[in-house]
Amino acid sequence: MNEGEEKLGQIYFAILGAVALAFGAAELIASASEGFTWGILDSSGGADPMFLPWRAIIILSVGFFYLSSVKNFAEIHQLAKAVMASIMIWIVAGMAIWSRIAGSIPGEETWFNSLEGFLASYAPPYCPEMFLLPFSLVIVYYVLKEKETEK
Amino acid sequence: MPLSVDERWDLIDRISKQTVEFGAYKHTLKDAIAELTVKPLTGLPVAIAVIYGFWSFFCDFAGTLFTDGFMVKLFDEHWLPWLQSVFPGGLGNPFYALMVDAGHIENGVLVASDNCFEAFGVLTSGLFVVFGVVLWAILAFYLMFALLEDIGYLPRLAVLVDTVLHKIGLHGYAIVPTFLALGCNIPGVTATRTLETRKQRFLMITLLSVFVPCGAQIGIMQDLVPEMMGWIFLTLAIGYLGFGFILNKIVPGKSPEIIMDVPPYRMPVMKNIVSKLWIRTSKFLLVAVPFVLLGCVIVGIMYLPQVGAMDWLATVLGPFLMSWFGVPGETVSPLIAGFLRKDLAVGMLGGLMEQGIMTTFQVFTSVVLLCIYFPCLATFALMIKEEKWKEFIGSIASLVVMVLVYGGLIHVVGIMLGVA
Repeated sequence: MNEGEEKLGQIYFAILGAVALAFGAAELIASASEGFTWGILDSSGGADPMFLPWRAIIILSVGFFYLSSVKNFAEIHQLAKAVMASIMIWIVAGMAIWSRIAGSIPGEETWFNSLEGFLASYAPPYCPEMFLLPFSLVIVYYVLKEKETEK
Repeated sequence: MPLSVDERWDLIDRISKQTVEFGAYKHTLKDAIAELTVKPLTGLPVAIAVIYGFWSFFCDFAGTLFTDGFMVKLFDEHWLPWLQSVFPGGLGNPFYALMVDAGHIENGVLVASDNCFEAFGVLTSGLFVVFGVVLWAILAFYLMFALLEDIGYLPRLAVLVDTVLHKIGLHGYAIVPTFLALGCNIPGVTATRTLETRKQRFLMITLLSVFVPCGAQIGIMQDLVPEMMGWIFLTLAIGYLGFGFILNKIVPGKSPEIIMDVPPYRMPVMKNIVSKLWIRTSKFLLVAVPFVLLGCVIVGIMYLPQVGAMDWLATVLGPFLMSWFGVPGETVSPLIAGFLRKDLAVGMLGGLMEQGIMTTFQVFTSVVLLCIYFPCLATFALMIKEEKWKEFIGSIASLVVMVLVYGGLIHVVGIMLGVA
């Protein structure tokens, strides 16, 4: 990657890291109480509150990983930290999406959910990791750039 | 004519000069990620995320989607009422009680069960436990396990936990039997063959049979007491490490260091995943189905008023169970069934919970007790096969001591917290 791309990556992942840290801290505080829902942001842990502190620790780690990757971002070991942080977001957000899919297929009283019920399962609020997910995908661009360099 | 040692080294030199390319190796991104996942500072958060993914998938696949989504409806709303209407005999008939529904007493009247957890029949509770709950839990567990294996993450997890497991006389690769036992204790006990010394095998088998619940049991626990799962696993983990530490100090023998080969990360091959999933799940079902059904028959017979064995046992053992562990005498029947299948036993606890016989803490204690009190019959048989007689007797003796001490300790903690 060239210098401009490195600089951009540093700024981008520093901001993303700070946001992840903030989300992680919010989830940690939420896990100490009963959680909270603020607009389209949900930090209540849903049906399984035991996942909330677990998720908080992961997102805090994601924040630290991103922030520690910023210095000398183009170096392979530093880039790997940002990649790992993104993978961790994909795991947590992927499971949040999977949870919605699993809950949206069967109906309450009937075998399968109605179309309205199915679509309603995907409506907001969403957990913080879902908001981080699209922004974490930027790392794919840097991975592809690195693959080009490796060749 | 044989070569001398020097000549052999010369030959090796010549071959290596012609075949090996020397130079600086440039780390790739894959290498750097592989390194990050074995260093404790970065590897532990990744491990927490991976286990989170594993567990979330397990709960949503087995619990939300299949068991709660379809199987509960199928068994409770269709299968049970249909059997209750067509099976000959009716409520109160011994054969009907054994096969379909034992019923329960409400205000002095015997009433029919409205769910398969309470019915206790071979065709109701037995089939529901196996095909309604356990099958999906096992599928989810082995799918995730095969993925982690084939990606190459398990050896990294072994490196990460190596230091901790050394404290209890084991090494990092003991995570493989432990993880396997979370699916089913039988492959877990078999996998202890990879451990180096008799001492390590003894420690691992004893700890597995006491503190590691199988996937079937986890599936049922997740269905019955999802809000307690974190506490249950924490209690079991403390017991695993605490008693492992003590056993390591008491049991003679060596716990050697090992050098682990950590393979590179690889993209899993779908065909391999499917074949592993098929082999493991089918083997599990072959072992589990007969034992669950047999368990239902035995417990059903003991429950019959004509036999009265369960009432007698509850009367005899009730005072001990209540005073030592703080659980009611009725827990004796799940404890007996647990010797055949622990998943069936936890399912039976569900029936007692719905009848309001136990407090929340008693439910927690009973579930933990069911996990630790004795391995299921299949694991028990395998322990006899895998261990020498002296070791086997040692395992059973340790097991009895651990159950009494740890079960009692949980009761004491409950009293101190004012919840027991």
